[in-house]
Amino acid sequence: MFARVFFPPMSPPVITELGHFALILAFVTSLCVAVLPLAGLRFGMLSLAALAAPATLVMAAAITFAFAALVAAFVASDFSVALVAAHSHSTKPLIYKISGTWGNHEGSLLLWILILALFGGLLAWRGRDIDFGLKTRTLAVQAMVTAGFLAFCLFTSNPFARLDDAPLNGRGLNPILQDPGLALHPPTLYVGYVGLSLAFAFAVAGLIEGRIDRDWARHVRPWVSAAWCALTAGIALGSWWAYYELGWGGWWFWDPVENASLMPWLAATALLHSTIVVEQRGRLKSWTVLLAILAFSLSLVGTFIVRSGLLTSVHSFASDPARGVFILGILLAAVGVPLLLFAIRGPQLASRDDHALISRESGLILNNFLLVAATVVVLVGTFYPLALEMVTGARITVGPPYFDATFNPIMAVLVVAMALGPLTAWRRGTLPSLRRSLVFGGAGAAVLAAAGLALANGISAAGIAGLALLGWLGLAITGDVLHRLKPWQDGSGARAGALGAPVWGMWTAHAGMVVFLIGALGNGLFQTEVVVRALPGDSVEVAGRTMTLRGVEARKGPNYVTETAVIELRDGNDILAVMTPEKRFYNAERQTTTEAAIRPRLGGDDYAVLGDGDATDGYTLRLYRKPFVSWIWGGAGLMAVGGAVAAIGRRQRRPVPPRAAMQAAS
Amino acid sequence: MSRGGSRLSFLIPLVGFLVLAGFATLALFATLSGERDVTQLPSAMLGKPAPTTPLPDLINDGAAVSVADLRGVPFLVNVFASWCAPCRAEAPALALLAEDIRIMGIAYKDKPADSRRFLTQYGNPFVAVGVDRDGAAGMAWGVYGVPETFLVDADGTIVLRHAGPIDRRVLDEVIRPAIRDLQ
Repeated sequence: MFARVFFPPMSPPVITELGHFALILAFVTSLCVAVLPLAGLRFGMLSLAALAAPATLVMAAAITFAFAALVAAFVASDFSVALVAAHSHSTKPLIYKISGTWGNHEGSLLLWILILALFGGLLAWRGRDIDFGLKTRTLAVQAMVTAGFLAFCLFTSNPFARLDDAPLNGRGLNPILQDPGLALHPPTLYVGYVGLSLAFAFAVAGLIEGRIDRDWARHVRPWVSAAWCALTAGIALGSWWAYYELGWGGWWFWDPVENASLMPWLAATALLHSTIVVEQRGRLKSWTVLLAILAFSLSLVGTFIVRSGLLTSVHSFASDPARGVFILGILLAAVGVPLLLFAIRGPQLASRDDHALISRESGLILNNFLLVAATVVVLVGTFYPLALEMVTGARITVGPPYFDATFNPIMAVLVVAMALGPLTAWRRGTLPSLRRSLVFGGAGAAVLAAAGLALANGISAAGIAGLALLGWLGLAITGDVLHRLKPWQDGSGARAGALGAPVWGMWTAHAGMVVFLIGALGNGLFQTEVVVRALPGDSVEVAGRTMTLRGVEARKGPNYVTETAVIELRDGNDILAVMTPEKRFYNAERQTTTEAAIRPRLGGDDYAVLGDGDATDGYTLRLYRKPFVSWIWGGAGLMAVGGAVAAIGRRQRRPVPPRAAMQAAS
Repeated sequence: MSRGGSRLSFLIPLVGFLVLAGFATLALFATLSGERDVTQLPSAMLGKPAPTTPLPDLINDGAAVSVADLRGVPFLVNVFASWCAPCRAEAPALALLAEDIRIMGIAYKDKPADSRRFLTQYGNPFVAVGVDRDGAAGMAWGVYGVPETFLVDADGTIVLRHAGPIDRRVLDEVIRPAIRDLQ
């Protein structure tokens, strides 16, 4: 194994080999950063500790070079590189040659490591106001994680391996991955997953130091916000891609890999909120540290469970159980050791509770409790089949009914609490202060529930409850914004400025939740689906509109040929659009993909999918009217913007409350 | 949560993680030792009677073929399509199997002319081939994708399902032992 890593097959010393050497250099450097600075701090050799930041930058530069070398091999279609031969093709458009770099196990692993190193580099470069000991230890922990994954990459999944006989052309990229949405989805998601590594590194560093304080939270919070923002955007991109590319008409399927990205998101959402409590009040410290460890651990599980061959999913990379052993080793070390450290050091971080039952603290604790409960529910739904199989040998799948029955009710309670939390004062809130939002939210809930009952025939109780929740949250947030800004009085601009970025970020993200709910409920409750077998000339009515199949023709794309249906969409006599759903046949990969035709509008999407068929028997068409469905991604986008505002914007530093200051003095 | 309380409560996350990791380790080693095949998706059809709905015959126009015709001794059912690359890859394995056991083919969501060309080009291991133009039979068999292979016993009960192409290892370690168990 070592022979293969350190003595790559003899070939001209070109950029691929340089990339390989850069990766080895980065591995050695990461080992140094993981060990030397900690030893330096322990034995008082500060020059050794001071190595952490510059060495992290060297490591980041080396990994960036390695990644660029791999991209270069893909762009140049160098089929003597095994990975390029297996996953690329010379006729592919340039953008998919580039995105093909991370459309496979080895390349996406390298991208993951690149982002890990860049986050470390960013902290090394920017974090000047962070306490030297905390920063050094954080960089060391970050380097430990990086070293683990570099070892995984070099020893089991070398992206730079050469072939002895280069084929004339590559085997092509899975056509389903040749899509702009999928060029962006993995990098964005990885920024989210990996961004949580810094919160994790800060938490472990804090545990090593035995000190977590408000300053710690102040440094961690922007990274958590940024990671959460990217994670939200990444999940939304994946869902949007599945919506238009897979042609199943849905936007979330409770697939193990989707769950694997949802779990860190839920944990990161909890972390985002509990960090605020640490920063503002110096409470919930051990809990926040635990969440930081768990959020990144779930990211690790999310990124790597699909590569271990443990769970079956439509997303699976070519999974290899032998790699699974390595992954399991990394997980045991990266999760087990910090949790052990937490069990030893955590009790020292305990803080005294001094808040009343009705207070911002209580609201955020409830938020955390519900989010963690939701995480556990998803975790159980994802891993229960595996555990059951180990115990009884039976293989089952857990589907949407389980999640509808468990996940949705928890989220419903969370939405109820979301409307009240931001209005409650720190330490001691009062019921009367909540009266406004109770009245506003209650009115909104009543109006929408009544509208649902009146307008939709046979709407389910869950549907009514969903609409009531939407009205509740929407109007309660509106009430809060109006109350704080008082736009009808002078000086509202000054008030808006004085609120600070975190409040605006919170409002934006919470409003995103309202928009998301509009989409999820609109589509879930009022969707129309029609599946027909149609001959050219046939018309089908879908939710009051007429879709007419004009014909099916063959078309030619850059590296595929299609069967394209031409469907006329009419409302009465007005032609609204000509929709062209197609099936693409990729010559190089000998695979077919489905491209749904979508006419997206704010009020809802018209959605058409071409199935199998021929001109004599007719073609299978799946036609949908999906009210408000694009609001789902619009809402997720707003949440991501809210996260970005909170990450970038400055917070008004809250003075230390007088009582705490007195206690500190005494 | 952060209440002082018992130090033991700080052990809970570690213990929970170790239990999960234990299950994962078990599953992983079961996979490595070959006891657990991740390509074997759970199938609700195992132990159930094979669907017997007649399908149009690919070879003889106007005739129909049904699984019911094959009952009496164990047989295989292979779901394939001309547009499916792994189906080509498993053609040699099917040819080997055809020496020992009868195989019925189901041409899944495929134009009959293409299916016939496929069989001419890669060999025809089947005693009969049913045409499943719209995928309805595939649905009845619980097919996720092609190729898939089912082993049906003499009574017409599905006893094994393999999703994905049959390679040398699957042939020797999964399919053949299962056939031997029946005979």
